[in-house]
Amino acid sequence: MMELFLTVFSAAFFVTVIRTTTPLLLATLGGLIADLGGALNVALEGMMLIGCLTAVIVSVYAPWYVAVAAGLGAGALLGLIMAFFAFRLKADIILVGFAINIFAAGGTVFALALATGGDKGTSINLPSKAIPAVDLSVLSNIPVVGPTLTAFLSGHSVLSWFAAFLVFAVWYFLYRTPWGLWLRGVGEYPAAPEAAGIPVNKIRTWSLVVSGALAGLGGAQLAMFNYVGFTREMTAGRGFIALGAVLLGARHPVGALLAALLFGAFEALAVVMPGLFNEIPAEIIRMIPFVVTIAALVLFSVRAQRALAMRGAK
Amino acid sequence: MALLEAIGIGKTYPGGVVANDGVNLVIEPGEVHAVVGENGAGKSTLMKILFGIEQPNAGRLLLDGREVHFANPREAIDAGIGMVFQHFSLVPTFSVYENVVLGSEPRNGIRLDRQRAIAEVQELSERFRLKVDPLPPVRALPVGQQQRVEILKALYRNARILILDEPTAVLAPQEVQELFVAIRSLVAQGKTVIFIAHKLPEVLEISNTITVMRQGKTVGQVKTSEVTEKSLAAMMVGREVSLRVERKQTDQSECVASVEGLRVVNARGTEVVAGLDLNVHAGEIVGLVGVEGNGQAETLEAIAGLRSIAEGTITIANENAASLSVLERRGLGLASIPEDRIAEGLATGSSVAENLVATRLNDRRYVRNGLLDLKAIKAHATKLIEQFSIRVGGPSYAVGTLSGGNMQKVVVARELCEQPKLLLVNQPTRGVDLGATQFIWRTITDARDKGAAVLLSSADLSELLALSDRLVVLYRGKIVAAFVNTPDLTPETLGTYMLGLSTQTADEMKAALK
Repeated sequence: MMELFLTVFSAAFFVTVIRTTTPLLLATLGGLIADLGGALNVALEGMMLIGCLTAVIVSVYAPWYVAVAAGLGAGALLGLIMAFFAFRLKADIILVGFAINIFAAGGTVFALALATGGDKGTSINLPSKAIPAVDLSVLSNIPVVGPTLTAFLSGHSVLSWFAAFLVFAVWYFLYRTPWGLWLRGVGEYPAAPEAAGIPVNKIRTWSLVVSGALAGLGGAQLAMFNYVGFTREMTAGRGFIALGAVLLGARHPVGALLAALLFGAFEALAVVMPGLFNEIPAEIIRMIPFVVTIAALVLFSVRAQRALAMRGAK
Repeated sequence: MALLEAIGIGKTYPGGVVANDGVNLVIEPGEVHAVVGENGAGKSTLMKILFGIEQPNAGRLLLDGREVHFANPREAIDAGIGMVFQHFSLVPTFSVYENVVLGSEPRNGIRLDRQRAIAEVQELSERFRLKVDPLPPVRALPVGQQQRVEILKALYRNARILILDEPTAVLAPQEVQELFVAIRSLVAQGKTVIFIAHKLPEVLEISNTITVMRQGKTVGQVKTSEVTEKSLAAMMVGREVSLRVERKQTDQSECVASVEGLRVVNARGTEVVAGLDLNVHAGEIVGLVGVEGNGQAETLEAIAGLRSIAEGTITIANENAASLSVLERRGLGLASIPEDRIAEGLATGSSVAENLVATRLNDRRYVRNGLLDLKAIKAHATKLIEQFSIRVGGPSYAVGTLSGGNMQKVVVARELCEQPKLLLVNQPTRGVDLGATQFIWRTITDARDKGAAVLLSSADLSELLALSDRLVVLYRGKIVAAFVNTPDLTPETLGTYMLGLSTQTADEMKAALK
């Protein structure tokens, strides 16, 4: 138990948490934008997965940033396709989302086999690249706190810093710009923006494109930093955890950050625990993030119900 | 020269419904122009065409003498036309100023300039006597103020012509007066108002000119000073109408239903009925008066068994009904005409015959050994279609294809084809034309004359005053006043209590709360 404690409060664990949180946070912010616009994006999972593969394959032939942009672009394109089916052809958005997830699960394996010349499991024989980590070892020159700062802040992915910035950017966009007002209005009561001459479906289409782009970016981080290379179904439900994190974060960007950190922390725990407790089967430990997701959502819902009841009792 | 002119407007919806057929409308600058007509006369369609929501199949629109085409509301807004819908287009959690500026925000770089938005809303609100605080979220405001926010929205977009679609339908009498003050102030400052309505006294009070529509056509345009309520009603319906209901003397001694200390809490945890005591006797109609959302609907639903109660007793025909199911309550002689016929009263995809028998599926006449007796069901439907003069192609037609008035007749026929002991009625004639209204009023009154106890709720005060023997006024889930209905009881008197401006003492209420 002591070992676990020491591990959890180490700088290395913190770095692991940031690493596991980053793809989740990007996908959660994507889910948040679509959800606030009234278009529930259940395809985050599939968009992430396709983002992973696109980034990996492109990174074989191009610099890492081009690969990251390609992952982002793939997600955005899927968002656009989803919008086309849901808003232009009036298909049910949940069904379209699931179609994308199923397409992603099968399509990535197919594309992987084509790219690797037959390997249907991993991209291990493709020389794919990684996203560079930001080296802040210069901070260790600061007296006293320098080494600690370096241990905590150095070595994160470029995208982790970008994701942290995005939390602020998304908040600013939603609550300080006219377009954020439009998006929230479209999500809450579309008749109002419609009457004000705001093109509701165009806003929703954009929200899905941005949502897909962020999920694709999360995929790029997953396949070019957390792991380097593609494995079939490597997103392992992160897109769905992100959907849960949107609700758990009370549909607010800062809430999304906290929820993503919570899930990221438990995922990190699942990464370090097998080494410490070899009597517990690794499979059980790997279940932790999913059990936590369910527990957190149940608790959240119970709390919301109780808050309502309290207001009623007054 | 006319400010806005519609010439020969025609509109046929896909499916063949002719909503407008050669409609003409001439709006002069600076006037209040009322457009009146029954439901389904084509008023709303015409307004949607003026505002660019619908495109006409025929005809021309002239603004300032120049021909215009509006492909969407944005183009109409840019041309200086604003519209306030019956169902408000406001985002509930947004503040008043956010709702007003939505879509045309003042900007500072990429930032929404809040200070300027608030200042501009305040300035408009003062200039046009539409008092409203710019900061609170609109869902916290009463309906009358939400309507002001809607009008401010149009004015913020520099509307010269303001279309108000049945603006008084949701307002209490005092709020109507405040709205009229605002309309007069708008006109005094050079705006033009188009006012859609079907309540004739209001039309006569506020308008300068009236256009009457009937069955998709314009019947005529008249000066308000040259018509009376009666002549206007005749123009609307195409014949003389009397909206009075004769009621028989009945024996009102037997108490059929009573509730004591009824409390209902809604899903959001708010107490919507707060300790209600009420008796309804055989042979009387008790009217529940109140601005919508003050507990009338919830009270009726609680008695019908459609909503769980937090506290209190409900007695129907001397039986404690609080724990009985809806079917068991119906077994005691309860019938119910719900508020929303499409959502609660009918299965719109099912046939008229199926809907008419839906509450009698344990009746051996229609269901035997778990199988429907289709012949008996069809015969039952044919009989009721005839008896209630429902206009439909036959018993097998889907209810969803009927007009609002005929749908409501199907509900009324189902509930009243057998004499009930207790009848609950909520908004019986909402969105129903004058002819069907007359018929439904007559049917409800007949049930009363034959000894039913009737509890009636309606947003239309004239309906409550025309039908009720007694009236109780609800405000925030409590009875604040009770009256025996007499010819000198006026909507204004009721309005004071509806808005919670005053409350009767227990002694004053006693006489009317037997």
